[in-house]
Parts: sequence; structure tokens; C-alpha cells
Amino acid sequence: MLKDITFGQFYDSKSLLHKADPRIKIVLMVLLIVFIFIAGNMYSLAFAAVSVFSILLVSKVPFKLYLKNMKAILPVLIFTAIINMFYGEGEPIVSFWIFSLTLEGISRAIFMALRIALLIFISSALTYTTTPNDLTDAIEHLLSPLKYVGLKNAVHIMAMMMTIALRFIPTLIEEAEKVMNAQKARGADLESGGLIDRVKALIPILIPLLLSAVRRAYELAEAMECRCYNGGEGKTRMKQMTLSVCDLWISSGAVLISGGIIVLNILI
Amino acid sequence: MKMDNIIEIKNLVYEYTEEDETFVAVKNVNLDIKKGSFTVILGHNGSGKSTLAKLMNGLNKPSSGKVLVDGIDTADEEKELEVKRRVGLVFQNPDNQLIASVVEEDVAFGPENLGLEPKIIRQRVDDALKAVGMYEFRKSTPHRLSGGQKQRIAIAGIIAMEPECLVLDEPTAMLDPKGRAEIIETLKRLNSEKGITVVLITHFMEEAESADRVIVMNDGEIIDDGTPKEIFKKVEKLKQVGLDVPQTTELLYELQKNGFDISTDVISIEDTALKISAVLNSEE
Amino acid sequence: MAILEVKGLSHTYGGNTPFINDAVKDVSFSIEKGEIIGIIGHTGSGKSTLVQHLNGLLKPTDGTVLLDNEDIWKNPREIRKVRSQVGLVFQYPEYQLFEETVFADIAFGPKNMGLEGDELKNRVIETCKMIGVKPEYLEKSPFDLSGGEKRRVAIAGVMAMRPKVIVFDEPTAGLDPKGRENVMQIIKSYREATDATVVIISHSMEDMALLADRVIVMNKGELVMFDTPEKVFSSGEKLLEIGLNVPIVTRVFYELKKLGVNVPQDVFTVERAVEVLCEIRGCKDA
Repeated sequence: MLKDITFGQFYDSKSLLHKADPRIKIVLMVLLIVFIFIAGNMYSLAFAAVSVFSILLVSKVPFKLYLKNMKAILPVLIFTAIINMFYGEGEPIVSFWIFSLTLEGISRAIFMALRIALLIFISSALTYTTTPNDLTDAIEHLLSPLKYVGLKNAVHIMAMMMTIALRFIPTLIEEAEKVMNAQKARGADLESGGLIDRVKALIPILIPLLLSAVRRAYELAEAMECRCYNGGEGKTRMKQMTLSVCDLWISSGAVLISGGIIVLNILI
Repeated sequence: MKMDNIIEIKNLVYEYTEEDETFVAVKNVNLDIKKGSFTVILGHNGSGKSTLAKLMNGLNKPSSGKVLVDGIDTADEEKELEVKRRVGLVFQNPDNQLIASVVEEDVAFGPENLGLEPKIIRQRVDDALKAVGMYEFRKSTPHRLSGGQKQRIAIAGIIAMEPECLVLDEPTAMLDPKGRAEIIETLKRLNSEKGITVVLITHFMEEAESADRVIVMNDGEIIDDGTPKEIFKKVEKLKQVGLDVPQTTELLYELQKNGFDISTDVISIEDTALKISAVLNSEE
Repeated sequence: MAILEVKGLSHTYGGNTPFINDAVKDVSFSIEKGEIIGIIGHTGSGKSTLVQHLNGLLKPTDGTVLLDNEDIWKNPREIRKVRSQVGLVFQYPEYQLFEETVFADIAFGPKNMGLEGDELKNRVIETCKMIGVKPEYLEKSPFDLSGGEKRRVAIAGVMAMRPKVIVFDEPTAGLDPKGRENVMQIIKSYREATDATVVIISHSMEDMALLADRVIVMNKGELVMFDTPEKVFSSGEKLLEIGLNVPIVTRVFYELKKLGVNVPQDVFTVERAVEVLCEIRGCKDA
């Protein structure tokens, strides 16, 4: 059903990656993505690919879920590959009009496509093994140094917005279903007609939904005030993120992978 | 300020302006709420009872007159949080007061805002969830729970701040009978076991049955104040202000009109039956 | 003659929805023209799913719904016609208001049916007269009305389609006693003016007792009882078993019996209770 989509990305399981601290996971993900783009020759890139696939195995998330994400991004992947193929210098193999296909171009395209694919896999591994709430918390923590440059409120507000969005998306989706049904019961035709008719037909749904969202926002603001919220000033957290042995393991893993890529880059 | 009052309201007036027109929602209300008491405020929609609720914790500020919470003036901007921590407000729509998508994180929101130690927050969250009977759902996500369960989470979110008084603005209006019963039972327990003062605003007459005190509001004023039995005796007066009486009272009242020698000062089903049988037997 | 007939209706929701278990299993009943039918059952008993089949919002997984002896899904393209014949007023209908004026909002339904010009205008005005929407409201924004009046306008929006069967899902939810009475009055007025058949889902046993000709009791997606209020409320134990209540007066009478007073157990309105008790006392006086 429609309402289930929002928790879609998280896949509950008990792997090393699930247990690890979300902050560490985000940092390591960024690190690995950087190194995937540093990987300069086919050996280091192949090593990176093998490493990423072992991470996917460790995550204990069914591989078909990863493929599902990949499918969604496939058009972008192909587009990037094609652009890379015909762009840039090199000895042309075939050429027509202003395009010329070069050997360098082909290898660039393969490199780029592979890098993006690995990037998608590794970020999926993060979202499949971390709940949206943990992600929000981790991002807030990681961005907290920004408070020293006067951005304290910005970080807090962003985190608060994400928290509220996660909480209310299912509620609003449910409400959209209700309003849709209510207008259908009044004979609204949502299924037929041309594009303009269909857009027009959405008005009876969008207006009540918008009004309801405003009403909810207003009530929520009052409720938050009643719970002594004053913009995050002096706020503490119940959940303390603590590092565990899992984090040591995955950090060592990531360091090994990065090291391997560098070594292969230099040696070969 | 007497020590045994948690809330003292003196000559309270609340006005608001909408499209250049001024409305008076609360007119000269005087009211003390005793610590540890269970008070029910009855009134139809628009009687000013919701506005009064928001005045009790400083969400609304008096236009004139005073509201004192534990001796603190709610108009004092400096003590804003002090007041809100002492008097917690629960609203009608449970969906619109839950902030986080995990139950325990939502309950932690209040104590976190108070800047408590993580360990203490954990303790309070667990205690609050146990007090409303929702501890086993601490890891659930609110949108999967029933209305009554969500409302109990909202109550837990307030009591985790350890307030002295809980003000609830029609907390059962959107619930089914089961959810309604859950909430009333929870409130009674919090009142009797934890000694939390409860002010329950409602238009379900049955919910007033076991209160210590019932206050009737109409048109921004308090028009009656007494024990449930005293209040519900006045069937005609209540109907005049758009309220109802419990069906038991109505039955006794109708019997009285039909010449039964019976008083209308009981509310529970058992007592009503006893009273009727006594009358029937005495006339044998 | 049966106006609405449900035969072997089942509905299962696709996918896994662990909490909202609101399926319907093999439900059959038929409703006579002009009847008022009450549906009771607690949240998740399938009653909301059931009523969404009556106007074709949901398509049965199994079974049929007959309106005037014709399968409403005989021609799926015509399902919108069914929706104007079987009106459905959802819970908190005021949240479906969207037009700039009360008039335009009430006209939305009939306009979708193809009414226009004077016919449309007359239809709206007639409906307002019928159920007491004040004429001066027509040019106002619906969002400027009070809660109770908004609901009245929203209900008028469904009634303006002149459905011959009108279904209400908890029409009095969230209202105060006066508001509840107003809604009941709106339903009565519509019925008097149009002889419509009415189906009401309600949690209020007291309202059911006062209004309904027959009551459907739903539990776990099944129809467990379909009878007159007398019969349904006299089987109080069965109701209590599935977590439903009986009217308060009825419970007073159960207590009286326990106390040894010989009273009937099928009393469910205050009016009837007073009659019965006066009779008993009268007998004793004589």
C-alpha cells in the first residue's frame, strides 16, 4: 500500500553494518566514494568493485533490493556513459559528423559507469542498513561542528525538519487517500480526460490536503511549545551514540580497501 | 497563593481579534485547581473551554486578570518554560502532537528540551511509557498505532516532563469507545497513583462521572461548579446550554417527572438500578 | 423490495498491512427501500471497508453488490453513476471542502453528474432549504463557517446528488451534544424529503437504539448479527463478548434483573424504560 513506501529503504536484519554507528557509516561511505573516484587504473577499480560487493554481502540485505535501486538509476548511468564515450580527446576509431568514437572514450565510459554503479551500491548499503531516524541523528551530529561558525540553528532546524517530515509523510499519504475517496464519492473523475483535465481534477484533492497540512503544522507547533521546545536551546539527547567493536571492524575494512586502491594505483 | 492550589485564576479575561472584530472567549473567570484533584470542565463547542485550557499553561496570555501556576504568573515571559513544565497540555488530535516516528523518541522530546541528562531521560521515558501502559510499543512507529494508543503516547510525552498538572482538551473526541475508555482509565490511574492533578475538558458526560469536581462553562463563563452528582441533578439547566446528561440521570429524571419518588443524584449504572429497585420495592 | 443487496462479499487488501486489518469476509445482507440501517463494530471490524463497497469505491475481491437488482460492477465504466445513487459521507466530511464558496462546493457533486445552469442552481438551493443551510452562507467561503456548519455544508454536498441510498461513516464524530443532535436532524430531514434509505456507522449505541430499524453487527470482518435493535441489544452478552457495549439504559435493566426485579431485557431507550417501569409500578399500585 501507498503508506508503506516511506520506510521502504530500511531493511531490518542483524548484520555488522546494521549494528554499526550511523555516523561512522556515513563517514566511511564518503571515504569509500572518494577512493572509488581516485581509483585510476583497471586493477584498482576492479579491486574497489570486489570490495563493494563484499560490503553488500556483509550487509545481509537481499541482492535483488540493490538491483532494484540500480534499475531506477540505469537511464542516468547509460546517459553518462554515452556522453563520456564521445567526449574528450583520443585517436578516433570511427567518426561521423562531429562525433568520433575513441578507444579512450570507451574506457572512460566504462570507468565512469562502473564508478557511478559502485557509488549507488554503497549508498544503498547505507540506507538499507540504517533507519531514517538514525540517519537524521547522525547527520545532525556530524554537522554539529558548524555551530562554531555560527550555523548552530541551521543544523538543528534541518534535523528537526527531517524528523517531522519522516513522522508526517505517512499521515499525509493516508490523508490523501481519504480525500481522494471522499471526492470520488462525490462523482469526481480522476481517471479520464486529457492532461489539463487531470490536473484540474487534482484541485479538489490538493486544496483540502494543503489546508489540512497547514492545520496540522499549526497544532504541532502548539504541541511542541507545550513540551518546552524553544528552538533547540540547551537541548540534550536521550540516545547517545556510542562506538562499539563493530565500528572498529568496519573502519578497518574501509581503511584496507582505501589502502588497497592506493597501492594498486601506484604500483601498476 | 495557597499552597494547595496548583492553578489559580483571577478575574481572567481573554479577547482575540479576527478580521477587525473583537471576540471575548473568556469572560471574568475565577477558578482554583487543587493539587491532586480530578476536575472535569464541560461545555459545548465555542464555550471557551479550549481557550481556558491554553490559558492554564501560558500558551495563551490573559488579556486581563491573572493565571498563577504554582505561584508563577503565566504572563511572565522569563518563566515560560517553568510554567509549561508544570502544567502539561494534551490536545484533541493525537496525530498532530507526536513529533518523532519512533514512540520512545517522541516521549523523550520534552525531557530533551529540558536539557536533562541522557540517563535520566531514558528513565523518565521508560517510566512514562509504563505509566500509560505503552512500554511494549516503545520501538513502534506512531502511525501504526490506534487512536487511543497514540493519545496515550501523547500523554506519556507530557508526563515524562514530570508536570504537576495535566490539562487535556477533549482528548477523547476523536477516539472510538475502546480508545476513550483507555484514556479515562489511564487518567484515573495517573491521578490516584501518581498524584498528578488532572483537568479534563470534554463533552462526553459519562467521563465526568468519577471526577472530584465538575465545572460547566457557557459563553466564556463558569455557570456551575460542584460535584458530578450536584451538577447532573440540574438536567434542564445543562440541556439549556447545549449539553446532555448521562443516560442514567436522564432515566431517573424522566421517572421523577412521571411521579416516581426518586432523586437524581446517582450516576453509575449499579446505583441507578439500586435506586429504582428500592422505589419499586417500597411501594409493594 | 430490496434496494441494496450484498451477496457473499469478501475483500482482502493486497500487500502486508500488519496493523490495519480491515478485511471483509463473506458478508451477505439485503436492505429494504426506506429502511434505516445501523452498522456497529469496533475499529478494524471491517465496517468502513464494507461501506466503501456499497458505492463502488472498492471493488469486491469476491461476491457482488446489487443496487435495484443490478450488479453495480456490471459495467465498470458506469461506476460513477452508482456513486451518485449511493451517497457516501465520510468521517469528518468537512475536510473535503475545497471550493471558494459554499454554493460551489455543494454544486460539485451534482455538476459531476452533469447538471448545469438553472437545474444545478435549483438543486443546490433546494438541498440547502431541505437541511437548513442558511441562504446567506451560499456566497461565503466554506472555511469561514463554524465546525458544525462546515459539516452541514459537506453533508449537503453529498445530498445534492440526491442519492437514493445514503451512507454515513460516523457522522457525529468529534461533535458536542448539540452538534450531534443537529446531524441527526439533517439525516431525518433528508429522509423525510426524499424517502431515501439510510445506512449509518456509529459507535453510539444510544443513537442506534433511537434511529435504526435494523442493526448490522460486524466483528473481525464478518457479519455476526443483523436484526432489529430489540433483538440485537437483548443479546447483550454476545455484544460484550466482541468488545461492544449496549446502551446504558439496557445495562441498568440488566442490573435490575440481577437485583431480582422482573423486567424485560430488550429495553434500550429511556422512553421505553420509563414506560416499562411505570407499568410495573402501576401494576403494583393496583
